[in-house]
Amino acid sequence: MHSKNPLIALVVALFVVCAAASPQFALSSIFYQNDSAQDQKSATKDSQPASSEPSKPAAADLKPASSDEGQLATVNNAKIPAYAKVYVAPMLGGFENYIIAGLRNKKVPLIVVVDRAKADYEISGVSESEKAGWAKMLFMGSQNSNEQASIKLSDLKTGAVIFGYSVHKANSIRGRQSAGEACAKHIKQIVID
Amino acid sequence: MSHNRGLTMVLVLVVLGAVCMTHAEDTKSPAQSSKIPKGAKVFVAPIADGFDTYLKDAIAAKKVPVEVVGNREVAEFEITGISETQKASTAKKVLFGNWHSREEASIQVSNLKSSEVIWSYSVHKEASGHGKKSTAEACAKHLKDEAIEK
Repeated sequence: MHSKNPLIALVVALFVVCAAASPQFALSSIFYQNDSAQDQKSATKDSQPASSEPSKPAAADLKPASSDEGQLATVNNAKIPAYAKVYVAPMLGGFENYIIAGLRNKKVPLIVVVDRAKADYEISGVSESEKAGWAKMLFMGSQNSNEQASIKLSDLKTGAVIFGYSVHKANSIRGRQSAGEACAKHIKQIVID
Repeated sequence: MSHNRGLTMVLVLVVLGAVCMTHAEDTKSPAQSSKIPKGAKVFVAPIADGFDTYLKDAIAAKKVPVEVVGNREVAEFEITGISETQKASTAKKVLFGNWHSREEASIQVSNLKSSEVIWSYSVHKEASGHGKKSTAEACAKHLKDEAIEK
């Protein structure tokens, strides 16, 4: 009886050491799988009706969220895990570079990869930039450009679009950089940190 | 006999503990985001309007401790990006008295082995005093300060 007590104490001590070394490990290793599985389930659930009825279910699943400068939509409040590998697809005018810079600037906990085959998620979209014309300069006294961009984030395994965001800035002080950072800021909202 | 079993259990637990700690380090590593070691071989990919040339000059001017190579196959890291220049229009000159161009650039550094983007930066100058040279030097300065190992 006495010989078992030190052994039990040792087991408890080792468990405490493990928990201290990786505080999230004990919980995250259990719940992280469940969360990702839940996301997968929700994603597949979203993708299934989309194949049969293309327009109606997609519109019903999109939930708008409040945003100061753009419109944000998430599908069934889907989230993506931190440090997931994300590929940013080439966009018109090289806007993908500004999104990647925005992700870093806004400290979004995602790993951007340049190889699509190594990614779990993909960000794609479109952007448009309109320079200030003479009339705007004369009447408005503004030389800032108009920027608009729209992006979507999709799960590469299921093909489901889990997040969408569009931004429009009438007088963008920092041009495309501002639009890229706005996109990154809102992507951060759906990342589980 | 019971002593042997206890010893085996302890050994198993020690191994489990080691595995846990390794896993913990693995999960922490992406947050720390690897940096470019000093003297690393960097390839600057062609960028629109010849911005890569300005960037190479700026890397040398700002004394960024990396070796710029002309062959992608021998490089460890790659710099890619986009740049855009808009010359001052007549309206801008007349109404604002500003002859300077509007410059925008965004670059990213990726590890060629892991394909991960390890650093990125974007710059916007509404009235750039020295055109592309200013934005390229801004990129090089931040590359040196933020992406290179101290």
